Amino acid sequence: MPSAGGGGLSAEIVFGLRPWEEEVERYHQLSPPRIRAQNARKMIEAGDRRLDWLNCRPDGRIPLPGCRKLYVPLGKQAPSEAPYGFVFLLVQRRDSSLAWTFVAFGERHPSNPKTRTVYERAYKRINGCYPA
Amino acid sequence: MSRMAISVRKLAVGEIVEVDGRRYEVVPTRDGELTLETPITPMDELHAIDGAKPASAEDFERLSGHVPYDDEG
Repeated sequence: MPSAGGGGLSAEIVFGLRPWEEEVERYHQLSPPRIRAQNARKMIEAGDRRLDWLNCRPDGRIPLPGCRKLYVPLGKQAPSEAPYGFVFLLVQRRDSSLAWTFVAFGERHPSNPKTRTVYERAYKRINGCYPA
Repeated sequence: MSRMAISVRKLAVGEIVEVDGRRYEVVPTRDGELTLETPITPMDELHAIDGAKPASAEDFERLSGHVPYDDEG
């Protein structure tokens, strides 16, 4: 199982079925975002490359404390090259182990002003409503 | 031409409706209107199924304190 951590600590990376359906499979089967998300997940689960994690901001307009993110496609940073993102939340499981659980996938900077960003989607999954 | 009686179902933010077998949630838009979009199941509900809970801030700091931030979210 893939894992990520620091200082000798690690936590498994988990893609739950329901969030994956709601976040990735909402896109058409052959659409670029869905294909890119699937490819990124395969690379994460293969566990054979370094992941460029970034912490999400715990403050600001869309506070996401306890969350980390990866830009998609993996290994790219600029929005023009990596227009999508995965957001993960650190959770403690029933057996007390820690895991980075997949929370949201979507556009980082949507060109359509009506489209919610990946951060807004993550906020809604965690808090039950979109940020004000 | 005769008019058909139409019964209008009232919906509120957060309600889930099914249209042609697909589920949608009533959500607010940024400009204060309402729209339908595919539902986002809250973490609370998922945690109730799998028995997990958000990790503590201390655990996050131990695992992720060294990870950088950026300015976008």
